[in-house]
Amino acid sequence: MKIAEKKALKRESIIQTALQLFSKNGFHKTTIPDIASKLQMSVGNLYNYFSSKDILAQEIIKYTSEALGEKIREVNMTEATAEEKIYQIVSIYFTMAEEKPEMIEYFLRVYLSNREVFSDGCEGMVCVSGFITEIMIFFDDSVSSGELRNQDFFSAFGLFMGYLGGMVFLKGENVLPKGIEHYIDDISRNIYHALKA
Amino acid sequence: MSSSPKPKLLWLQSITCNGNTHSFLNHPDLFSILSHFEMIHHPVLEGSATMQDVLAGAVDCDVLILEGSFKEEGFLKAGVEVSSLIHTYANKAKYIITAGTCATFGGIFKQNDPENISGLCFDIEEKTSRYVRYAPKLISLPGCPMHPKWMSYVLLMLSHGKKIEIDNLHRPVELYGYTVHTGCTRNEYFEWKIDTENYGFKEGCLFYEQGCQGPYTRGSCNKILWNDTSSKTRVGTPCFGCTEPAFPRISLHKTKTNMGIPAKMPMGVPRRAYLTLTGVVKSFKIKRFSERLMEYDK
Amino acid sequence: MKKIQIRQLIEKIEGEAELDFVFNKGKIEDVKINFGFYRGIEEILKGKDARDALVITPRVCGICNHAHLLTAVRAIEDGYRKAGVPVELSSKASDIREFTLACELIQNHVKWLYFTILPQLELYVNQKSEENYAIKATYLSSVITKALAIFAGQWPHSSYAVPGGVTCDPTHLDVMQATSLLDESITFFEQVMTGISLDRYLAIDSVSNLDQIEGDFGRLLYLLGSNDMAEIGQSHDRFIVFGDSPLSKAGKSIVTNFAKVDVRYVKESIQKGTVAKAVTYKERLYEVGPLARGMVAKTPIVKSLHKRYKDSVLTRIFARVHEVAQLLDYSKTLLQNLQLDELSCSLVKGIQVDTFEGTGVVEAARGSLIHTTTVKEGLISNYEIITPTQWNLSHGTKEESGIAIEAMIDTSSIDEATFIFRAFDVCSVCTTQ
Repeated sequence: MKIAEKKALKRESIIQTALQLFSKNGFHKTTIPDIASKLQMSVGNLYNYFSSKDILAQEIIKYTSEALGEKIREVNMTEATAEEKIYQIVSIYFTMAEEKPEMIEYFLRVYLSNREVFSDGCEGMVCVSGFITEIMIFFDDSVSSGELRNQDFFSAFGLFMGYLGGMVFLKGENVLPKGIEHYIDDISRNIYHALKA
Repeated sequence: MSSSPKPKLLWLQSITCNGNTHSFLNHPDLFSILSHFEMIHHPVLEGSATMQDVLAGAVDCDVLILEGSFKEEGFLKAGVEVSSLIHTYANKAKYIITAGTCATFGGIFKQNDPENISGLCFDIEEKTSRYVRYAPKLISLPGCPMHPKWMSYVLLMLSHGKKIEIDNLHRPVELYGYTVHTGCTRNEYFEWKIDTENYGFKEGCLFYEQGCQGPYTRGSCNKILWNDTSSKTRVGTPCFGCTEPAFPRISLHKTKTNMGIPAKMPMGVPRRAYLTLTGVVKSFKIKRFSERLMEYDK
Repeated sequence: MKKIQIRQLIEKIEGEAELDFVFNKGKIEDVKINFGFYRGIEEILKGKDARDALVITPRVCGICNHAHLLTAVRAIEDGYRKAGVPVELSSKASDIREFTLACELIQNHVKWLYFTILPQLELYVNQKSEENYAIKATYLSSVITKALAIFAGQWPHSSYAVPGGVTCDPTHLDVMQATSLLDESITFFEQVMTGISLDRYLAIDSVSNLDQIEGDFGRLLYLLGSNDMAEIGQSHDRFIVFGDSPLSKAGKSIVTNFAKVDVRYVKESIQKGTVAKAVTYKERLYEVGPLARGMVAKTPIVKSLHKRYKDSVLTRIFARVHEVAQLLDYSKTLLQNLQLDELSCSLVKGIQVDTFEGTGVVEAARGSLIHTTTVKEGLISNYEIITPTQWNLSHGTKEESGIAIEAMIDTSSIDEATFIFRAFDVCSVCTTQ
């Protein structure tokens, strides 16, 4: 294995470990030595990969955004109807919340709750553009095909993502009586009916 | 073609507003350019033949400049079908220059009778039945009107015996290789996705709301300035895409958007790449771009 | 003696027209003016967005496109006002519009003088000079349209006027450049066209002082006078102006009576044998254009000429060239007083009226230009354009001949009649939009 590939793998394992620790214990309570020790590497070596905790936190949000964006991109590439795509995007989001809760938790509990960490380098949508871009493409396609109603981007985006984020938050607070996958049908339908042309 | 006698130039009008004629008359070196040619007939300038001679099909012609949309039947001058005149001189000519969007693609006047009116060799982007016959000598100069210096470029290249590189629609690549966006003084605002506050400001980009077609319109309007001075976008008017085959589109003062996203991307830019960039740059509020370019003491 | 009819093709009139001259006893008894082809701009506009007219209508005409733009924007603004949306232009916006329109008129008149009237007159009186009039025409017209383009972006076919103002936001740098180009044009007027200073020229107020005019305009006046052409080409001696402009207020003038006018009484009708429609005001024919403006405004030198020569070819030609001086002078004041700190467009972004009907009037080079737009749910349901040439070149009514036809009647040669015809600054494309 080439050195560059080895380094890339190591980098990804740091991101995944830090993602779990940040999501579980909170950003401020998790230290660089905590992450290093869980990875059985020296603190100095970890700093070779990420020069600060803030930088690491920013790289994680890019990583999760890319991962989510990648899955939605696959949906965008299909010939499915807007209604079907909404169903698939909701499924992706909720499945990720179920199977890799740390990804969504990180977004809600670290990224949105510690804005000072992200203010320099992750302004606005800079670090979540991998995900936002795919949502834009979904909207653009669905409006030009006449399936969704043309409106301001944020009024549609807020309805869609605010709804999903709210449900995952409720799940995290353990207030949902049923598993989140039970809500995919109704929520998809609700979103479609709210946005359709 | 640089050796004497001078090539014979015929400027023939079909269904037109004379906009290309008057555009060309603005050329600051008009008479030195024309000195390379013998003017046979022109709608305004003096020529060696009268319109009657031209209508009789009797005059010589090496370079035919055609202005105006083409109609095979029903557009007559003094009882003569103009289409037959065009055929007569197009066959005689060594070069045919279609001056303006009407002669090239059909243009505005096509819209009154889309079935029967088109450009000489193109109907919007489709090749007409005449294309095969005239293609070897065809040079397209679309624009409503065409810029005087685009015409002089072609005439001077011909008179100096130089080969003009053209694209698939026969437009000279040195003129139409650019987009109208190239050289626009509002480019910084485009880069940072900042639209203009309203009409009448030198600040802000016209692509997001005002319907500017500059980023996907071919033409060198912001490189070779109009009247040696300015351009539409420089005075805050959106580019209406007047050099493009489908000119004029509808709702020219409005950018078509889907949930706020421009429906048409800058030329050759993949939508995903454009939107990624948009999401990123829109995240920054850069003070300089929210201020007036210059302030005056009251 | 039998009547003879001769058909003549007239070219270089922004296209062509065919005139049928009816001779009786050696004199022209009647003329039929035939224009070829209707291009359907009014039809093309139907179903389009109301503001698309700002892009489409300039394409009626390559030489007076700017007047069409300004008429189209006034029609929309009139419609907005009638629908209850106030549209107040800043003085900056209206001054810039006035300036660019003045530039187009100057361009037009100078081209007509050098491309049409001087060469045609020399040809007619057989006194051909060695002058390259074309280079003079294109020099001045390209200088003055450059000044126009500083504000409007380009000429021909600018669309820089929008409801509520203009799209440009000029700086002093722009205004100084325009001022310099205007000064260059004034120098041309003084040194090439008239041989006297603009101030001295503008002080000329009676026929007895015309000998002060030298240069090309002086030659033109000399050729007309010395060839007994001062009194030919008289018509009905009725004039009308619909648009308020720096050259004249709206109004009509018959003999010495001035009266107000209202565009509602303008009627357009189809004519046999031509695609050009005729227009009348309260069923009567009127002449429009520079002579009409001079008469309605009671411009001293125009009145003085009219007193002696009526609405002859001399008075008509003089009135047009005279406007160049008036417009140069007026434009200088406009640029000098331009308030750059005002808003260019005072209509707030996004304000749009969906259903309205409005009429715009502009004094174009050849006279009153009228657009009426009817808009339903944002789309144009009807658009009507009445061009100046339609007034001057109509066939006439049952009772009387059209303006230009009346002017040609009783002349004895086609060449003479054709010269009189060209003195109206005929625009073929405007007549057959």
